[in-house]
Amino acid sequence: MSSDIHTENLAKKFRKVQALNGLNLDVPEGAVYALVGPNGAGKTTAIKVLMNIFGATSGRAEVLGIESTQIRGRAFTSIGYMSENQQLPEWMTVGSFLAYLRPFYPSWDRDLENDLVKQFDLPLDRKLRHLSRGMRMKAALASALAYHPKLIVLDEPFTGLDPLVRDELIQGLLERAEEATIFISSHDLAEIESFASHVGYLEQGRLRFSEELTALVERFREVVLTFDAPPALPDRFPDTWMHLGTSAAVVRFIESRFDLERTKGEVRNVFGEARDVTFSPMSLRAIFLAMAKAGRDADRGNSVKAELRPGMEGGA
Amino acid sequence: MKQILHIFQKDARHYWRESAASIVLMAAYAWYETRGWAAEGAVGYDVSAFRLFTSGFLSGLVPVLLPISWALVIVRVIQGESLVGDRQFWVTRPYEWKKLLAAKILFILVVVNLPLLIADIFLLSKAGFPPMHYLTGLLWMQLLIALFVLLTIAALATVTASLLQMCLAILVIALYLIGMVSLSERIPSSSFSSSIVDSLQSVLLIGTGMVVIWWQYSTRRTARSRWLIAGFGFVLFLILVATPYRSVVARQYPLEAGQPPVQLALLPAEKPAAENVSDKEDDVQIQIPLSVSGMTDDSLMTMSGVMVEIESPDGVRWNSGWRSNGTSLFPEQKRTQIDFSLKRKIFERVRGTPVVARISVALTVFHDRNRREFIVPNGEFVMPDVGLCTSEAGYSRNIHCRAALRIPSSLLITSDLSQTTCPARKEEVRAQSGEIARDWHHYSDSEPAEFGISPVKTVDFDLRTVNPTDARRLNGICPGTPLVLSKPEQARQTRIELVLNGIRLNDYRLSPTRRFTFER
Repeated sequence: MSSDIHTENLAKKFRKVQALNGLNLDVPEGAVYALVGPNGAGKTTAIKVLMNIFGATSGRAEVLGIESTQIRGRAFTSIGYMSENQQLPEWMTVGSFLAYLRPFYPSWDRDLENDLVKQFDLPLDRKLRHLSRGMRMKAALASALAYHPKLIVLDEPFTGLDPLVRDELIQGLLERAEEATIFISSHDLAEIESFASHVGYLEQGRLRFSEELTALVERFREVVLTFDAPPALPDRFPDTWMHLGTSAAVVRFIESRFDLERTKGEVRNVFGEARDVTFSPMSLRAIFLAMAKAGRDADRGNSVKAELRPGMEGGA
Repeated sequence: MKQILHIFQKDARHYWRESAASIVLMAAYAWYETRGWAAEGAVGYDVSAFRLFTSGFLSGLVPVLLPISWALVIVRVIQGESLVGDRQFWVTRPYEWKKLLAAKILFILVVVNLPLLIADIFLLSKAGFPPMHYLTGLLWMQLLIALFVLLTIAALATVTASLLQMCLAILVIALYLIGMVSLSERIPSSSFSSSIVDSLQSVLLIGTGMVVIWWQYSTRRTARSRWLIAGFGFVLFLILVATPYRSVVARQYPLEAGQPPVQLALLPAEKPAAENVSDKEDDVQIQIPLSVSGMTDDSLMTMSGVMVEIESPDGVRWNSGWRSNGTSLFPEQKRTQIDFSLKRKIFERVRGTPVVARISVALTVFHDRNRREFIVPNGEFVMPDVGLCTSEAGYSRNIHCRAALRIPSSLLITSDLSQTTCPARKEEVRAQSGEIARDWHHYSDSEPAEFGISPVKTVDFDLRTVNPTDARRLNGICPGTPLVLSKPEQARQTRIELVLNGIRLNDYRLSPTRRFTFER
């Protein structure tokens, strides 16, 4: 499958801050790709480099087959971009904003525009500056969807929005998911989980993993072992175990490469027979938090390890 | 083109208030300008003091507000699609930067240049000049304003994100200019303007403005553009401090090898200042009177610049550097003077001792050409090479003219004072035949139009005798006065040096009282 977004060793430095550090990313055509990561991970920088809002310090990127440095003008007739902090022409009404943008796009669809206006319940005669944050985001999204873009790039679109507006935005997006590739950066993992097909985890400018969401969720498990007496924590344990800890006779850890038989065998090797063993699936949010914590612990020099997928960046 | 017009229409809708204000101010400017001519031309212009004040105040205010309104229009329209920052909606829309730039240029042309052109055509027409005859000059004026005013404002607007930032940028530039002016006062010879340096600075200003705008629209690398502007400021600073002014002047005004075009010689001091130099005086004014001789009948010249070097036997050396001067010398002229100021400390060290003064004079020599006689008509008349003029025998006794686009680059009016037709006033005596009075207007540039908002320039011709006497001579231009008009043409630039041995500067010191009288 070809990639609509492809980066090679993409780096961006702001004075002394390395915002992106050798980013290698591929977003397959037709994917709903969620780029997640803690604050300051470099998500917005990555998107702005892809959109040629910034230049990269080194490395290269392609968007829809075009070098990112050439993304300007007509290239944006195929890209719909929306950001949480985008400055819109606030003096325009919603109607005049949409009318103003219309002639820029040969593929602008008036029917779709009307549908989006109805779907998002946009007040056409109200100035953008008088809209609530949620309404403004909906107006921005409508203006980014009405021309059937091949690629929709959304930078933190749900930040600060109430659940109803989030649902409306997601609904609007999902209805276009079949005809476009969606690349979205977000903190809102619960929402992402409901519709993303792929997920990438960015931390300190590096992509820690990037894979299909189902595979990711499949390989992470919260493991709880119950013993008759408190066990001693082992000096050595598999690299794929994260946040190993005990509480009385209970041992907990997160397995980052779950395979029922192999994991059971490794538990036996390390602890012997446990009275009870449970493997619980994890939410994306729980996986994200585990990864973020692992990253922080690694920064502090703790020996928490997590195995990453082959081809991804070095372990935390 | 579609995109250009689309963006233009959006801007026209959004910035109609700013545009309207600018156009109204342009109209007000044209109206006050024509009223000004009426006031100048009318004898006994009968208005109340209040109306005169308000009219004068507003007519003085409008020419200040008009460029400010242009600046506001330009800043608003450029910052409407701001080139600074990374959050503007338009950067991720299918804007083509060349079309965006073209739309902004079109807006400025329509809102600033077009009303200015219309106002200029109206003013020319109102002043009695056929506008179509002056179309090239009108376009030249537009070009000057576009390159030196609008381009600079536009360049600053592209590297600032808001009106406040723009004001801060202007403040920084104003402080920089104040610093440069005060620095230039400390650098000898820097005030003697050189056409080469001036041209270089103009080219740099225009070039920087264009590159900044081009860079900003094509790449939006604001930091780089701001550095370019700072670099331009630094280059101007370097030019100011590193220009070899003396070499430039020496090359521009080569030392006269043969017979000098004029001979200058020291005249005895008239009334040296008796009193001591006051402690309050930082500078002491010196005036060296010189006799003038040896000029051919058809030559005239200006002392473009003067440099004075003082050397005393006890080793005190002082050099004024080249200073602009501008004094004219005419064939019938018998004397002139060179003024300069010395720091009090230096003067006190050399005041009593005979010193050697070396005076270098940069001369621009003209030949008087195209002489023709002209008798001043009554009422409004056409004065050749000038424009439409009037003369009256009342208070002013001069010729008041309105010229289209520019004052003539070189025009000499010569009159035999004995032939003036002006009525004598109390204590005035009629001059003897052969006493010459002149007025000479000359400028180094010869472009088709002067820089400015109005295409109608006003100029007065007043006769002055070059050899003043004690008696009050009946002088002036009135209807019927015969004049000789001529167009002196620049022949060459040269430099002469005068060595004055053993002069005592104290003998040539101007007392503060005399200086005051002299300056008036």
